[in-house]
Amino acid sequence: MEKMNSGTNNEQYKVLMRLLNYTKPHLKTIIFAFSLLLIATIGDILGPILVKIFIDDYLTPGNLVFNALFALGAAYLGIHIMNVVVSYIQLLKFQEIALKIIQAMRVDVFTKVQALGLMYFDKTPAGSIVSRVTNDTEAIKEMFVTVLVTFIQSGFLMGGILIAMFILNVKLALFCLFILPLLYMIIRTYRRLSSKFYHDLRERLSQLNAKLSESLQGMGIIQVFRQEKRLRAEFEDINNKHFQAGMRNIKVDGLLLRPAIDLVYIAALILVLSFFGITSFNSPVEIGVLYAFINYLDRFFEPVNNFMQRLSLYQQAIVAATRVFTLLDEEELAPEQKGDASQIQDGEIEFRNVSFSYDGKRDVLKNISFTARPGETVALVGHTGSGKSSIINLMMRFYEFNRGQILVDGKSIKEYSEQELREKIGLVLQDPFLFFGTIKDNIRLHNKDMSDQEIEEAAQFVQAHLFIEKLEDGYMHQVVERGATFSSGQRQLLAFARTIAANPKILVLDEATANIDTETEEAIQTALEKMREGRTTIAIAHRLSTIQDANLILVLHHGEIVERGTHQELLAQRGLYHKMYLLQNGSAIKLEDVVG
Amino acid sequence: MKVFLQLSWFFKQERKAYISGTLILLFVALLQLVPPKVIGIVVDEINRGSFQATDLLKWIGALVGAGLLMYVLRYYWRIMIFGSSVKLARQIRNQLYEHFTNMSQSFYQRKRIGDLMAHATNDLSAIQQTAGSGVLTLVDSLATGGFVIVAMAATISWKLTLICLIPMPLMAILTSWYGTLLHQRFHKAQEAFSSLNDKTQESISGIKVIKTFGQEKEDIEDFRELSDDVVQKNISVAKVDSLFDPTISLIVGISFFLSIAFGARYVLMEEISIGELISFTTYLGLLIWPMLAFGWLFNIVERGRASYDRVSQLLSERTEIIDREDAVDFIPSGDIEFKIDEFIYPEEKEPILQNIQFRMKQGETLGIVGKTGAGKTSLLKLLIREFYAEKGTIVFGGKKIDDYRIKRLREAIGYVPQDHFLFSATIKENIAFAMPTIEVGKVHQAASIASLHEDILEFTDGYETVVGERGVSLSGGQKQRISIARALLMDPEVLILDDSLSAVDAKTEESILTALKEERDGKTTIITAHRLSAIQHANLILVLDDGKIVERGTHEQLMGQDGWYKEMYLRQQLEELVEQGG
Repeated sequence: MEKMNSGTNNEQYKVLMRLLNYTKPHLKTIIFAFSLLLIATIGDILGPILVKIFIDDYLTPGNLVFNALFALGAAYLGIHIMNVVVSYIQLLKFQEIALKIIQAMRVDVFTKVQALGLMYFDKTPAGSIVSRVTNDTEAIKEMFVTVLVTFIQSGFLMGGILIAMFILNVKLALFCLFILPLLYMIIRTYRRLSSKFYHDLRERLSQLNAKLSESLQGMGIIQVFRQEKRLRAEFEDINNKHFQAGMRNIKVDGLLLRPAIDLVYIAALILVLSFFGITSFNSPVEIGVLYAFINYLDRFFEPVNNFMQRLSLYQQAIVAATRVFTLLDEEELAPEQKGDASQIQDGEIEFRNVSFSYDGKRDVLKNISFTARPGETVALVGHTGSGKSSIINLMMRFYEFNRGQILVDGKSIKEYSEQELREKIGLVLQDPFLFFGTIKDNIRLHNKDMSDQEIEEAAQFVQAHLFIEKLEDGYMHQVVERGATFSSGQRQLLAFARTIAANPKILVLDEATANIDTETEEAIQTALEKMREGRTTIAIAHRLSTIQDANLILVLHHGEIVERGTHQELLAQRGLYHKMYLLQNGSAIKLEDVVG
Repeated sequence: MKVFLQLSWFFKQERKAYISGTLILLFVALLQLVPPKVIGIVVDEINRGSFQATDLLKWIGALVGAGLLMYVLRYYWRIMIFGSSVKLARQIRNQLYEHFTNMSQSFYQRKRIGDLMAHATNDLSAIQQTAGSGVLTLVDSLATGGFVIVAMAATISWKLTLICLIPMPLMAILTSWYGTLLHQRFHKAQEAFSSLNDKTQESISGIKVIKTFGQEKEDIEDFRELSDDVVQKNISVAKVDSLFDPTISLIVGISFFLSIAFGARYVLMEEISIGELISFTTYLGLLIWPMLAFGWLFNIVERGRASYDRVSQLLSERTEIIDREDAVDFIPSGDIEFKIDEFIYPEEKEPILQNIQFRMKQGETLGIVGKTGAGKTSLLKLLIREFYAEKGTIVFGGKKIDDYRIKRLREAIGYVPQDHFLFSATIKENIAFAMPTIEVGKVHQAASIASLHEDILEFTDGYETVVGERGVSLSGGQKQRISIARALLMDPEVLILDDSLSAVDAKTEESILTALKEERDGKTTIITAHRLSAIQHANLILVLDDGKIVERGTHEQLMGQDGWYKEMYLRQQLEELVEQGG
């Protein structure tokens, strides 16, 4: 048990060190902030010493020299005001550093996310990735801003006070050192207990919330099956356990936080008073020193209280950091390109015996071979799960494949640079994703060189111009809620415009399955014909009417090409394609013929 | 402060804890005055040279006593006051949960689960804070502040007290001004953070688009800019936030300066002693907290009040579907007859069902088909009384369904919903959901009828396998079959399968239907489906379109008409051929 603990402690230490690594680029600012902190601390400590001089040298002997007193008072106020200014800058600097560190970390995580392969996104819910990038880093920020900074500031102040005590009276200062192990023990005990109890409380809270959320989602079932009473009892039970965990935390806090620290303060006070009292039996005592000691004691304990109340944040931050680092160390990267300087000239595509599996167990593509000559259209048809999308996924290099070859202009697709591929191959997704921003932004994407005119030309080319013009603000129309206000046909047209604006050599189309209104349908047809002109096209077709003029139609079933040919050839075969065609276009009577 | 009045029912309920907690707090506030006083007296005696060993022991004794007493008392008021506030949270949470279980489906249609969760978490914690820290801050800051000022004025010097209190209100004013500033800036920082969050969400959802256009770098740049904005907004928060400590230190410092400067004068004039001056400055230190606390108090109370209002509003919602007073208390059984003239969902205008009239005898099977949105599920929801149709009646076993107690009505019905919802529990617990104490054999039997038993045995933990959000992931078909087994276990008078066979393959569907026929002899079954094979053998098939019955009859009768049913049937047969690869 003890061993396991030290193991996790060790891991915690590693995580902390890795976190601290992020401070390196800010070394200069950190040194600056530390210098300010040092000045502020010295200022803090000088105050009571000045008062001590006043009491011992002037007040007690009744020796009132105006000039000296004025100087003393001015020094006190001067130091104080300077101190206020310096500590303000210092506080701000530390927060700034913390914020910048977190920003760097966020960008790192986000960059990493962009470099991950789609395989990773398949197996990880989007919500949890977002959480890594924003919420977890936010928790780490809390640690940097509150815990670490408080810790450093408290440490400085405590150190400064101890030094001042030594300057004032070595013997008494030595006695006062006994406070340290006492505090250390309290902090240690508190940390041990609270990390356990606090963790327990968090756990209970998340159970409670999970139960609640699940019950809300399944309330229909609970009611229909009349289990309200039982679930209520179950919830009450969890709620009760959460309550008990809460009480345990209050007890630990009550025993070891402020009340305990205050008790140590009283003990230290007794020590100081006794020391001066006993000394006074034999020799006179400097009241000013006594004053200064008591004043220092007052200040000494506040940082401790602050610090202890924030310990739980430290635990949370370490957990969050562990999760963030796990993502940063993720090895499911996007496929790599060899990336020589070759360019795609003609746009000929050849699949040669390509087989592929997502999970390494079941092949979703089996021995796929076909060629699309420059400017030709190859259409993929087949039932859901037949492997159409997988062909596109490989073509787009979303997933790495190892069996068979995909050749572009006679050269393996892996040989081209990433940039070349992205520039020359344009993909239109089935559900075109619209981003927050204007219509214009959504066509241009991040390509800042694209002029407004080019955008409009692209929109005109794909027949999207008409409906865009009718929108409020036209091209500056704000897209809301992922474009939910547009029909699926309109979204598709926007996706066309986006692709055409980038002017690719090869076109990969995944046709929308959803119902499209007739008006847009016509626009889409015209757009598709125009787009395909002069471009090699690989298209997934759901509506067979759109691909009747394709040079080659591949009918896929369970990852295999079961029929291939032109529309007419395939119809004549009276096979799978013929049935699919009838399903979409046939009347009941024709259906009866086939079904028999 | 109105929230304290609103919460007075709870303070009354927990009056013992609150009264004793408050008394203890007051007592601690008094005890706090002891150490500074002792310091003053000791200093004076040392200064006069009259300090004796017995004095030392006496005063140490006083400090030890006060210190230990304070430690114990501080522990106890925390238990009393914070403990009560946790109790309050528990109580309201239970109330909310119970309330949620009583609310009908129209409530869940109106509310988003996320909002309901927020009430039960964020709002509750704000209320808890009000009943805990809020009460503490109010009592403690008033008591400590009052006692300290009285002690300073009465036992040392009222003149000096007045002088050093001069800068103190400035602190209260400044910190509360900072508070307002901070609130605004914090709000902006939150907004920046949430747009960063949205951006991330969007980039991840649109990752394919980004990759397709090779815009990873640009997207990262965009992210960097947004995160820059977050940093800027947070720095502007930090600019105010960092003002607090220096301001407090400045004003306390001035107060100290005033007390030493004027105090020294009074010492020389022999109005007070040096010891008293030192006590005085120590008292001053005790005043900082009450000044600050008042600023926080308003904050806590304001949040608590808004939250309490929201929660009370939620708790005051009434459900429209309740038992009639003269409702009969037995389980319905017998024929079912629908006579619905019109049904409109609450808060909607268009009717979802119109002119639905049919009758089914006990033991018959009813099939309902039609396009998505034709009203199939709505029809079922009326039968299980999730909703109520004002124009129309449903008669079950000779009585209107509203005449039965809801519990009894639902006891007669086993419902398998369209969206198969499973709880985070074992498979066994999920199947035995309505009858948690039933013997395992029955669970296995129900699973067998649902063609599920073999599947379950293949899991490593068998029936003990945990499913749901936190458990293993099951296929859609497996989830559906667990839902079916869950309803079957009740051996209900009426079994409703609401498109519950959509995710199982044709063969499994057939074996489930056959098993149902054997096991449920003499009991009524209602099936809605997209795939017509599921209802082919029903005694009566209704074809719904746009909320109306457009065709009705048996499979044979419907195939004889050249209608929607026949065309759909043929189409599905062809689809099946295509699925099998021709």
